[in-house]
Amino acid sequence: MSKSTVLVLSAALLGAPVFAQVDFSGEWAPLYHENGPERLPGPELGDYTELPINDAARLRADSWDADRISVVEQYQCRPHGSDYALRGLGNMRVTRDIDPATQRLMAFHTHMLAWDSDRTIYMDGREHPPAYANHTWQGFSTAVWEGNMLTVTTTHLKENYIRRNGVPRSDQATSTEHWMRHGDYLTVVTVIDDPVFLTEPLVRSDNWYLDPGQHIGIFGCEHAPELPKAEGVVPHHLPGTNPYLREISEWYGIPYEATRGGAETLYPEYRLKLNGYKAPPKCDRYCTCTTLFDCQLR
Amino acid sequence: MKLLTFTILLCGSAWAQVQPQPAQPQNDVHVFPVQGNVSMLVGPGGNMTIQAGKDGIAVVDTQIAAAAPQVMAAIRKLSDTPIIWVINTSLDADHIGGNEALLRLGGSNEASLRARVVTHENVLDRLVKMGQARVADAASINDTYFRSPKDFLFNGEPVMVYHMPAAHTDGDSIVLFRKSDVISSGDLFTPDRYPVIDLPDGGSVQGLLDGLNRILEMAVAGKYQEGGTFVIPGHGRLCDEADVVEFRDMVTIIRDRVQDMIKKGMTLEQVKAGKPSRDYDTQYSGSPDVFVESIYKSLVTSGKR
Amino acid sequence: MTKYLLAWVAIATAYAQLGPAPAKAKPPRSAKEAAPVDFTGYWVSVVTEDWRWRMVTPAKGDFASIPLNAAGRTAGNAWDPAKDEAAGEQCRAYGAPAVMRIPGRVHITWADDNTLQIDTDQGTQARLLHFGGKPPQGIAGSWQGYSVAQWEPPVRGVQSPQQGLGATREGTRGRSLEVVTTGLRPGYLRKNGPPYSANTVLKEFFDLSVERNGDPWFVVTTIVEDPQNLTEPFVTSTNFKKQRDAAGFSPTACSAR
Repeated sequence: MSKSTVLVLSAALLGAPVFAQVDFSGEWAPLYHENGPERLPGPELGDYTELPINDAARLRADSWDADRISVVEQYQCRPHGSDYALRGLGNMRVTRDIDPATQRLMAFHTHMLAWDSDRTIYMDGREHPPAYANHTWQGFSTAVWEGNMLTVTTTHLKENYIRRNGVPRSDQATSTEHWMRHGDYLTVVTVIDDPVFLTEPLVRSDNWYLDPGQHIGIFGCEHAPELPKAEGVVPHHLPGTNPYLREISEWYGIPYEATRGGAETLYPEYRLKLNGYKAPPKCDRYCTCTTLFDCQLR
Repeated sequence: MKLLTFTILLCGSAWAQVQPQPAQPQNDVHVFPVQGNVSMLVGPGGNMTIQAGKDGIAVVDTQIAAAAPQVMAAIRKLSDTPIIWVINTSLDADHIGGNEALLRLGGSNEASLRARVVTHENVLDRLVKMGQARVADAASINDTYFRSPKDFLFNGEPVMVYHMPAAHTDGDSIVLFRKSDVISSGDLFTPDRYPVIDLPDGGSVQGLLDGLNRILEMAVAGKYQEGGTFVIPGHGRLCDEADVVEFRDMVTIIRDRVQDMIKKGMTLEQVKAGKPSRDYDTQYSGSPDVFVESIYKSLVTSGKR
Repeated sequence: MTKYLLAWVAIATAYAQLGPAPAKAKPPRSAKEAAPVDFTGYWVSVVTEDWRWRMVTPAKGDFASIPLNAAGRTAGNAWDPAKDEAAGEQCRAYGAPAVMRIPGRVHITWADDNTLQIDTDQGTQARLLHFGGKPPQGIAGSWQGYSVAQWEPPVRGVQSPQQGLGATREGTRGRSLEVVTTGLRPGYLRKNGPPYSANTVLKEFFDLSVERNGDPWFVVTTIVEDPQNLTEPFVTSTNFKKQRDAAGFSPTACSAR
């Protein structure tokens, strides 16, 4: 190859254009058109439906006592992890960092209403921290483009939950998200791989619409002792003693075994095992529920 | 041709699917800055804490003797000053075994700067009783304390050594670097594995819980329960207060379950067969049976049934 | 060496100022040829959301999460499955706005080079997604309506040679399938009767991903626009996992219950 050919080739490669990207920036308002009662007022105790959990997760959830959130002071201001935050009070602002020298997209930032959570999604190809680095609620996120879809990988998450009735998500989990923007709608598919508590990946998806008029205020939280208690008391139910686990079965007519979750219950053929299902004569719990303001118990 | 190769290498920055870094090989030694003057050193014997500055170096725990050259090489990336303080959090061989070797490599030759090797007095007592097996470790200690805390100023910050009685052992110390806002917990706190309650060396489950609760009193979390005081555990990743809470809760809940089973008159074998830790076994390494047995015996001997 | 270096810099700078080379005219490709991703195959819906509204028929009046207006709620509360059976309308909950939410399997194939076909085992429905063209005038409403599909075009402006001094965009290469369906027969958004009208416009976006364990999945984001019964568009997203074969594909007739 001649010197001049090499020169032109190398110039072409080095001079390759620098890129801007599809933009997720903006104010996004969450849509609660799926699982409204679970995501807004909160999940029923003992409701493990639609989760591919193992026995360890089941017992953890059975042992969970909601009193823990107030009695153990350090839980009072505990935020959702970045994976669960997308399902909760998910009003979100997305901004982006453009490097002024290269005009490259360096990162997206998300700010969630709940607990004022801020997350950086790095777009610059950096490596994740080592295994012995500290974990955070938001974890460490990097992303790559797959066509018009942004795929985000998050590691280094603190222990948290996949449903806020005690079903846990461990600190060994990896969360993968796929962000897709179609006009003014944003869909995020979240895939949680948790070798500790899940028998297969948990795949869920949430939707937002662009709301330029949205203003996200300060969430704020201050922890304080709320109850006199003995040092080190941790509210929990001893195995087999949780009195609330059958409520969801009674209220909604779902066979108790189905409420215990597990991968088998997620697939269509499981419907053949639901012979014991008997719907209540009419709805009397959370019959509406699409926003915080219309989600009444009765 | 060389220019083409160089160019291709320069341009070879295609986006790659990012994977988290794999777990480090067992004999690697890594330094991880924490905050202030304090760094965490991760090695084959677990974690060490390094505080470095113009006064010299303070280390908490020293790993095993065989790792001393690698450990010292890692420390030298932080500072070339001599090791002045060594604090051992317990008598465990993987925390104290490197004392002599490390000081040979990194201590000062000047008599006035001879390193102080500090443990709670119970550590030295027990090592002496163990005789020939631990004579070198015993000989490496030249300073003990019995009244808690032992404190000193080093590199511009108060260093406070607290005794945690009857916890992992009866000679446990935790170390607070007050200005850097870092606590070294030793094996009182091991976020990736069940704690060892060393009953023959004076450990107890209640003492362990008291020690964890003490760490929680001392630690101050940052906004929304993250950051603030960092805690360097004996083994496992760098943590903060929220992580200690999860671990404390685990020990408390399993203790409560074992206690309930004892109240129902169950024998040790029946308790183990009941698997009271089964929802934590997939998360924490180490033998669940050993952990449960140590809780059982600790509760039975303390009379807490 | 210096003159080579200077020439190199000059060439690189000049190249960076150029826009993309003007596209040469090519004959139009079929939708199948132009497909940026492959949706064909057997897929199973994995019910990780709305389980108690999908895996079982919820109680009468349970319309949680659906933004029904007063008219929609009134109509929904009048749901009578026996009446639907008597009228031969067992498939009301299997129309295009709802059928993808019913737990089951789908088989996606190319009926021809410009028509993607989705066969559902539940309700034995066949959806035809026509690439190009418009819905024919005056067709009778049907459960599946008439669907016009396209590979979602890239973000507006990317073809302009003026933008960014020759910069092109990343993250724009479309790989989504966009479908708009009209000509629907009135049906139910769920098995227990929340209605949609014949004037409904259904918009869907299908997106493919491959997960860490190698499993392909697709998500279909479904936007139901029906001002007659809804206060706002009803938006759901349903996840399907690819199967190696037809195992479990179990054609089952519609049921009104």
